[in-house]
Amino acid sequence: MKRILSIALAALLIASLLSGCAGASKKVLKVGMELAYPPFETKDAAGQPSGVSVDIAKAFAESMGMTAEIQNIAWDGLIPSLQSGKVDLVISSMTITAKREEQVDFSHAYAKAYLALLVGKGSPVKTAADLDADGRVISVKQGSTGDTYARAHFPKATIRAFDSENACVTEVTQGKADAFIYDQLTIYRNSLQFADKTWALFLPGQEAEGWGMAFKTGSGLTAKANAFLATYTADGGFDGLTEKYLKQEKATFDQLGFAFFFANKDGSWPTSGQ
Amino acid sequence: MPIGRLFLRTPKDGRAKLLLNGLLVAAVLVGFVALSVARVEGRYDFTDLWTYRTRLAMGFGMTLAFSVLSMAASLLIGFASATGSRSRILPVRYLCRTYVNVIRGTPLLMQIYLFFYIIGDAWGVEDRLVAGVLILSIFEGAYISEILRGGLDSIEGSQLEIARAVGFTPAQATRLIVLPQLLRRTLPALAGQFASIIKDSSLLSVISIVELTQTIKEVNAATFAFTTDYLFLGVLYFALTFPVSLLSRALEKRFAYEN
Repeated sequence: MKRILSIALAALLIASLLSGCAGASKKVLKVGMELAYPPFETKDAAGQPSGVSVDIAKAFAESMGMTAEIQNIAWDGLIPSLQSGKVDLVISSMTITAKREEQVDFSHAYAKAYLALLVGKGSPVKTAADLDADGRVISVKQGSTGDTYARAHFPKATIRAFDSENACVTEVTQGKADAFIYDQLTIYRNSLQFADKTWALFLPGQEAEGWGMAFKTGSGLTAKANAFLATYTADGGFDGLTEKYLKQEKATFDQLGFAFFFANKDGSWPTSGQ
Repeated sequence: MPIGRLFLRTPKDGRAKLLLNGLLVAAVLVGFVALSVARVEGRYDFTDLWTYRTRLAMGFGMTLAFSVLSMAASLLIGFASATGSRSRILPVRYLCRTYVNVIRGTPLLMQIYLFFYIIGDAWGVEDRLVAGVLILSIFEGAYISEILRGGLDSIEGSQLEIARAVGFTPAQATRLIVLPQLLRRTLPALAGQFASIIKDSSLLSVISIVELTQTIKEVNAATFAFTTDYLFLGVLYFALTFPVSLLSRALEKRFAYEN
């Protein structure tokens, strides 16, 4: 009985491997992202990749007559995966920075985001400038633009880097860190979640971070992506994504006067009301 | 002499022959890794690592310090728990056995978060370094406890009866009869566990303890030289764990006459 079972299993395995090879008739576009930043890159209840970036990836692949295959890769592994050719492009809310541009090519920005601070209510920090002092502790996500920003703008503070955003937030709610620097959407959500222990402080006078699709240096896909993004914007693709994934956030941002993520249909960018 | 003889173990092997075989294996393995890197990345760039040498050295020192402190502490915890789990006092016995089962049955990552952000926060253990050593020692102590308990169980009870019959005090019996045998029987397993401590300390990076792995992660966030950084990380850890295995081998020989 045991032997029959194991033969059956082996047959099943071989069959599934074969069908996996045979099924790939349409060309596949391999897209890398870290599925850990809802609603941009996340998994739905069934465990399937879902979110703004997933939809963009699918639309981009479709515009070239291909099918998108999403690969979930940890943040630190995204750029190496591009360089080694494991994926064709990365769409993962990745900010276009000069340092990263030495490693990869970026498309034009498809979204713009601002950094914000999640400040603990027990901390003496009242303005962003208060953070640049001895004894102040800032938690950041390892390798994020918040990490870079903190090290550049608050040299006197202690910077603690973590793999997980939740750890960064917990450091603040438990008073181990004064503030957590991250994008304003995440900060805003956490300030609601932990309203009794934290408050959100928006960093004044910063340049917007543009998020781009990343490609291996010299890739021919970059130009195609720029053409796709122009069409997608003009066709109202981003309005559709806002409606689908970010309806509530859009309402709140509008109310507070914060600039929203996506360009207007005419290609202009919204500005902050502050 | 057929060339095949060069690769076969015989009772009278010279050093040159052993060295030749060792180098052969090393060359194949290094070649395989180098080839893999070449296929993927095609370049090595250690200049970035050189820029961060001071931080890397500090991280290396931290990992070394964490490992040494945790080895000592986990040995104490493990010995107490091994003795306790053989105790005639039932609450003590159950406490020790529960400790061993729960710690060995859950991942270290979860324990680090639990101990640091819940238990540590509730009881005011604010210092990251103290918390790190404690968490690691409690984790490894459970494994050491099982190694030592197995060792103690393997020493026949009749030996102690004989010792008492010939006039040994319990302290003498422990020191002269139990400990030497225990050491000899558990040393290889303990050395393996000590190597694990060095490797497991890398997980403390998740609470931003800036040991070796966290240093590499921070450097990597700036350089993106993923392959070279992590290859180098592996070399550094091996430089710490390999001497532990060698030492264990030497001690094993040293105690071999006891049996």
